[in-house]
Amino acid sequence: MDKQSKSYKEMASKVAREHRKLKWFQLRHLLKRKAALISLLILVTTLLVAVFAPLIAPYPDQGRGTVNIEQRLQAPSFSHLFGTDSYGRDILSRVIYGARISVFGGIIIVFFAAVIGVPLGLWAGYNEGISGALIIRVVELVLSFPSTLIAMAISIIIGAGWLTAIIALTIPWWPWYTRLVQGEVLSIKQTLYVEAAQMLGYGKIYIIFRHLLPNILTPVIAMILLDLGPAIIAIGLLSFLGLGTQPPNADWGLMVWQGAQNILTEWWIAIAPGCAMFMVVIAFNLFGDALKEILDSNP
Amino acid sequence: MTASLIKLEEVNTWFPYSKPIVGKPESWVKAVNDVSLNIIEGECIGLVGESGCGKSTLGRTILRLAPLYSGNIHFLGDNIGKLSAKRLKPYRAKMQMVFQDPKASLNPKMTVFKILKEALVLNKRVAKEDYLEQAVKLLNLVDLRPEHIYRYPHEFSGGQQQRISIARALATDPKFIVFDEATSALDVSVQAQVINLMKALQDKLMLTYLFISHDLSIMEHVCSRVAVMYAGQVVEVQNSRSLFDAPRHPYTRALKNAVPIADPESKNDLGILKGDVPKLSNPPSGCHFHPRCDFRDKICSKVSPEVSKINGNSWVRCHLHEKLWKHGALISE
Amino acid sequence: MNNLALSKENEQTFSGDPVMQVKDLNVAFNNHGGQAKILEGVNFCLYPREILALVGETGSGKSVTAKSILNLIPSHSRETTGEVLFDDRNLISLSAKDLQFIRGKRISMVFQNPQSSINPVFTLGEQIGRLIRLYLPHEISAVMHKNQCSPKRAIETIAKDKLNEVGLTDIQRMLKLYAGQISGGMAQRYRIALSLLSLPEILIADEATSALDVTVQAHILKLMKDLCKNKETAILFITHDLGIAAQICARVAVMYAGRIVEISDTKSLFKNPCHPYTKGLLKAVPKLGKNEPLSFVSGMIPDLVNPPRGCRFHPRCGHAMDICREKKPKDLMVEENHRVSCFLYNKQ
Repeated sequence: MDKQSKSYKEMASKVAREHRKLKWFQLRHLLKRKAALISLLILVTTLLVAVFAPLIAPYPDQGRGTVNIEQRLQAPSFSHLFGTDSYGRDILSRVIYGARISVFGGIIIVFFAAVIGVPLGLWAGYNEGISGALIIRVVELVLSFPSTLIAMAISIIIGAGWLTAIIALTIPWWPWYTRLVQGEVLSIKQTLYVEAAQMLGYGKIYIIFRHLLPNILTPVIAMILLDLGPAIIAIGLLSFLGLGTQPPNADWGLMVWQGAQNILTEWWIAIAPGCAMFMVVIAFNLFGDALKEILDSNP
Repeated sequence: MTASLIKLEEVNTWFPYSKPIVGKPESWVKAVNDVSLNIIEGECIGLVGESGCGKSTLGRTILRLAPLYSGNIHFLGDNIGKLSAKRLKPYRAKMQMVFQDPKASLNPKMTVFKILKEALVLNKRVAKEDYLEQAVKLLNLVDLRPEHIYRYPHEFSGGQQQRISIARALATDPKFIVFDEATSALDVSVQAQVINLMKALQDKLMLTYLFISHDLSIMEHVCSRVAVMYAGQVVEVQNSRSLFDAPRHPYTRALKNAVPIADPESKNDLGILKGDVPKLSNPPSGCHFHPRCDFRDKICSKVSPEVSKINGNSWVRCHLHEKLWKHGALISE
Repeated sequence: MNNLALSKENEQTFSGDPVMQVKDLNVAFNNHGGQAKILEGVNFCLYPREILALVGETGSGKSVTAKSILNLIPSHSRETTGEVLFDDRNLISLSAKDLQFIRGKRISMVFQNPQSSINPVFTLGEQIGRLIRLYLPHEISAVMHKNQCSPKRAIETIAKDKLNEVGLTDIQRMLKLYAGQISGGMAQRYRIALSLLSLPEILIADEATSALDVTVQAHILKLMKDLCKNKETAILFITHDLGIAAQICARVAVMYAGRIVEISDTKSLFKNPCHPYTKGLLKAVPKLGKNEPLSFVSGMIPDLVNPPRGCRFHPRCGHAMDICREKKPKDLMVEENHRVSCFLYNKQ
């Protein structure tokens, strides 16, 4: 019997060793995908730019908002690569500083929307009792109102500001995740592997996080990544209405809205932040696609 | 007579037809209706019936995966029918199930090792450090190579997936395994492989099996005793040999005749059973089978037949079984 | 129980012209894994008024064969060569327009899941009515003339007739129902009635009874046997169940990995199986009333993107010789009406 168990031990350690080698190969293979690599590069760059803004921006104080009236509305030149806005501030620096506000802001909104919405969706999908029904009713209630209206109302009540915008936008945003997740859970709730886990005696919480969540992750991640663009734009809209980012802080959406008014004459004011937004949104989408492919490689 | 591992007494598994928000449901779907059955330790008992007869529900009821409406389930002498989830946990390790669809019964996002580990956790005799070793041992038991342990379910064929399911069922060191149509989705040769494996494991590990299937032909190869189910009730239980040679219930005879035999020399009179399978929400009165029965009598539509013992572990539920036996009406050729 | 009569029917000798001939059919699918060569040189004939069983396990290519006959597989990913001769024309080379006159009319098909092959949005009456108008306009006018009734009435009468033939009762009520409201057995009978409306020469049944309960299946099998005789339709019955083949089919073709390895009349196949795969398959099938242990052919079906060279069965064959690994076996008649594709019987 000892010899038998020894041979099993040997087999087991051999298999574990091979597996570790294989995982390393898989990681390297993952990074070979061009789209994922490029988009990851863009996103990491954006993050670094946002974090190290004071060190990268050519005119950091203008980025933060200091006015420089003498040089207002200058077209792009060597000293100001993207020109200046109506207050004379260097647009490149504003865009760099805007990354902090817009991109971080968008990430925070979507993050919290998912963090609130996904667990509620998991619970509502798996339980058919009163708690589940209640969650769905709340979701339907919130979704029946136009989200911009809700966000505006909340901003007005709390008082305008960047943080307010974040809160005001997260509130109408989380129900989308709950609804998505609840639908996904309903479709896999009855599968046999869930029943097998029940047969083994595992409780609700374990089944929800160990069996349901990994299998609904793909559409949720897709939604997260596709939401980041609209989130950035939504902050911009609220700022434009005066309810979000307050001047003199730089906000991409705000800059685009303001610059759009002068698009024919001073075209550089809207183009720079617009391109930045465009690049980041595309990067998120590409990365989302690549991530979906990787996650779905085990059908 | 050896001890019963499992004793079912007047088990009813009823599902409400519609769930009202307040109050009790008005009508029920009687998936399992007044079933009493003994499963003897070490035997392989078959449960055969067509779709909608409640056989899968009965298997799940024993494992407490379906809501028991009334009745008792005795397992190893203890009444587990009404136990709470917490008190039931220690029993769960002792009874396991292998499901019908091999692909759907394995979580596609978990490796084979994770799947087995999830079950091994319940096995008190295995220490944490030994999980990998035990998993390799289990794969060996079901004739799978240890290199497969870090693969995902979709990388295996149906037969292999089913063997992984069997390995998982064995991981908790069970005494009783229910095979719910476990070979129905497999090709004929793969089915033969899995059945041979099942039999070998039963001898080696001294297990008790409940083998649920709609396929009567396979019963004799696998089971020593067979129970026939119709419309939520067990209508006949006999040794497999006697069941096939001399069925005691008209439904069994009809079922037997309907199976196309893989032998051109023996021709069955196919299709002697008329009518459709009854709805479990509104089954026919009295004996549920009476509208389709060639031998029915007046009493059959009024009174539900009682269990009549034949011998040993065999019994039948039919008002007219003695008369039919005397005249040999159910024996063909 | 007329055992003798039934067995005599199965012993028809097949002289005369086949109604359909499949010659050297090769089908390959292109997908990102590579090119899967699903069918490799499929050859068989279907004679009038017979039921031919096409038996095989998963991956044998039997369903693909059936669908290729009627060109039901989307063409952008597949390549087909060979001939399917029907009425002196090669169905493979026909355009979609020409094929439309054959599909459903002269060759019809019944599928595995009856309820999903009936349109759920229309009532059963509407669907059969539409087909009657399409295929039986003469009969409509004849009935109208005889009974002096409206076209609608005439169609209803014809529908009742046809549905009665397949053993359905209470038809008046049934015509008003939808697909989801009838049982599987009823739905399959309805589908069979629809496919026989145009009196096709060939009916292809693709696992037509696999989704049905065994007692219901028994009725459908009996029905198909009767219809084959009465309507003079040839039936190509695709199944994995050798029992069905044994009970209702006059001839059986066994497929493995895209090729017909053995084809013969039913009695010879079961009594005297020649191909090693057929032998293995017969030993693995559980037979009601016999308690022999089941044995099986070890191994798995080959990867069709990189199939084994030579005979596709050789990796699993206990009798594999050197030539099996190199060359593909040719078809050889071992008895009258019994053809095998194996080097054991082919001295070359």
